[in-house]
Amino acid sequence: MGVHEIEDAKLIFNFGYNGADSHPIVQRRIVRAKQKGATIICADPRVTEAARIADVHLQLKGGTNIALVNAMCNVIYNEGLVDQHFIDTMSVDYDAFVEIIKKYTPEYAETICKVPAELIRKAARMYAKAPSAMILYGMGVCQFGQAVDVVKALGSLALMTGNYGKPASGIGPVRGQNNVQGACDMGALPNNYPGYQNVTNPDVQAKFEKAWGVKLSNKVGVPLTHVPQRVLEEKDPAKKLHAYYIFGEDPAQSDPDVAEIRETLEKLDFVIVQDIFMNKTAEFADVILPSTSWNEHDGVYSCCDRGFQRIRKVVEPPSTVKTDWEIICEISTAMGYKMKYKNTEEIWNELIDLCPNFAGATYEKIEKYGCIQWPCRSKDMNDKGTVFLHNGKFATADGKGKFYTAEWRPPQELENEEYPLSFSTVREVGHYSVRTMTGNCRMLRNLEDEPGWIQMNPADCEKLHIKHGDLVKVMNKRGWCITRCNATERVAKGATYMTYQWWIGCCNELTIGSNLDPVSNTPEYKYCNCRVEKIDDQAAAWDYVNNEYKDLRSRMGIKMIGEEA
Amino acid sequence: MRKFVKGNPDLCIGCRTCMIGCVVEHEGRRIFEIDPDGYDFNPRLHMVKTAKISVPVQCKHCENPACMAACPVNCIKVINDAVVIDTDSCIGCKSCVQACPFGAIDMVSKIGTQQADGSMRVVANKCDLCVGTGNGPACVRVCPTSALTLVDEEKLKEVVCDKRVATANAAKVFADAKEVE
Repeated sequence: MGVHEIEDAKLIFNFGYNGADSHPIVQRRIVRAKQKGATIICADPRVTEAARIADVHLQLKGGTNIALVNAMCNVIYNEGLVDQHFIDTMSVDYDAFVEIIKKYTPEYAETICKVPAELIRKAARMYAKAPSAMILYGMGVCQFGQAVDVVKALGSLALMTGNYGKPASGIGPVRGQNNVQGACDMGALPNNYPGYQNVTNPDVQAKFEKAWGVKLSNKVGVPLTHVPQRVLEEKDPAKKLHAYYIFGEDPAQSDPDVAEIRETLEKLDFVIVQDIFMNKTAEFADVILPSTSWNEHDGVYSCCDRGFQRIRKVVEPPSTVKTDWEIICEISTAMGYKMKYKNTEEIWNELIDLCPNFAGATYEKIEKYGCIQWPCRSKDMNDKGTVFLHNGKFATADGKGKFYTAEWRPPQELENEEYPLSFSTVREVGHYSVRTMTGNCRMLRNLEDEPGWIQMNPADCEKLHIKHGDLVKVMNKRGWCITRCNATERVAKGATYMTYQWWIGCCNELTIGSNLDPVSNTPEYKYCNCRVEKIDDQAAAWDYVNNEYKDLRSRMGIKMIGEEA
Repeated sequence: MRKFVKGNPDLCIGCRTCMIGCVVEHEGRRIFEIDPDGYDFNPRLHMVKTAKISVPVQCKHCENPACMAACPVNCIKVINDAVVIDTDSCIGCKSCVQACPFGAIDMVSKIGTQQADGSMRVVANKCDLCVGTGNGPACVRVCPTSALTLVDEEKLKEVVCDKRVATANAAKVFADAKEVE
């Protein structure tokens, strides 16, 4: 689906996706859809902005996604609300799927996800009976040890109701960052060349070897989340990682269990950081390569809906700073492979000619139409790309959609006596990702600054004798941080939430790095346990926060008013 | 009738762009050219998020302002049909803050305005409908979901009119119910 289709949706099933905080511009379309009469079902443990305007809010307990999806499928199956013709002609593996969902009656699911069975029934009926229904999901689905299963189960929910291959339907991952789709499209994955062409496929390998004039490896690389293990635990010297070239990423802030990441970065023989400003990872770097920011270079972004859009340089970068592609070319050349391009269009043309699904998305075409959604296979100006996929045929070998779901697996680290609260990372509007960019934007820093907030139910705050705005200590067995208490009825009792961009209120001190989804290798950012402690001496705690922040800023060379550079 | 800005919680997504727009409008363009810690960040409206509501709250520009009546030094005035605090003459007594029934006024310190003892001046702060800028309220202009409206006499009449129609229709429902009886 295209993001623009959201406004025309008849029903939006918004699952584990908080658009208002992650992507306000997408939320604007959800609001418009609602104004145009769309029904909204929202599944989220918190009262998000989407939940607030939803017709049904399924306020499930964190870490129970698949139980809820299975139960909705169960209702649709048992009440005969399926699109049998679509299932018969367009899908495979339905029977095996039904076998699993049979067990997930709404009453059974209620015991797991704490959503009243009748509300599950209501939502399932609404979804199945809508003339067309669109699923939007976000990190509330993806950042669990059981993530890909849930995506496939949501896909099956759409499949059993025939919600594919037509406008304003299907299932849309509204991805975390503006160009994370682009990173994947361009092959910044351990197993793919650009255009999702597998490195283990000999034909693909031969094609890229011919184009680039070098011998290429047919081995799958190391996923980002396996880096600590490959540094700290790997015994085989041939497999051990020695060097880490990091660009546009701040793992010492954004990866789970940052104490382990710090140890990893310290143990590595050589760390290169290429970024636009100083960040926490750069403190561990042997070499820092300053690169240009988004308004200082040309390029192409892919939106979450596969749409290629051009970005253009608007300001001249300082003379000491180079674009990422120029730096890569120079490093490659210095290492013995001569790489030289005149501009980004030349790089893009080479790339699209090697990727059949992108072949038609020329600069000229993107310029003319503003955005081209791949697949776009022909350079003919009439091929404007593909708004929605699976039109009459799925992109599988047999052209059919494959049903799949799985049994619910609980998160790895549950609440216990010592750490009685659940803990999840979330986003807040205003600060983007690890705030390498937005932390340097004065207005956004004015709006929110260190040490951030922990969202807690007022009843939990009362029990701990803490009040809104108090500094509190948040801890579990991996680490701790100091932050402010945000007492809000928007979160359920027993659950806490923190955003992950604060240096002092650093929630990734607590998150768990060991429970990765087996397919995507995404960590379980959305579930671990914690304890919140009251701090009696608030003045001393504020001194600590202010001094730590000042130290960090001065180490990074950030000038404060009245200070010498 | 005095105009006022009203937020619609059905459209508001809680993003606080209005608060940024407010500060930029009142500090002027130089905000992007001066030291990041060298200007006031005093939005004149505030995002409030309760269990079920997200909406910015600001001054209603009352016809008979309680704040104006409470001010002992007459520094709250009506300028171009907006209720405005003259912060240069404000003595910081907080009477207006207490008088306002909507929580639309807060106390803020002004960077660069030192008093005899070296401390910064603290004054009352509230929405002035961006009078004098000629652009109308910045918050209304910058809101990405058009959740804020400048309500004028005409709009208020429309709302009242719609409500009268709704009341009339309700009367009919009531009458029909009577007939069924």
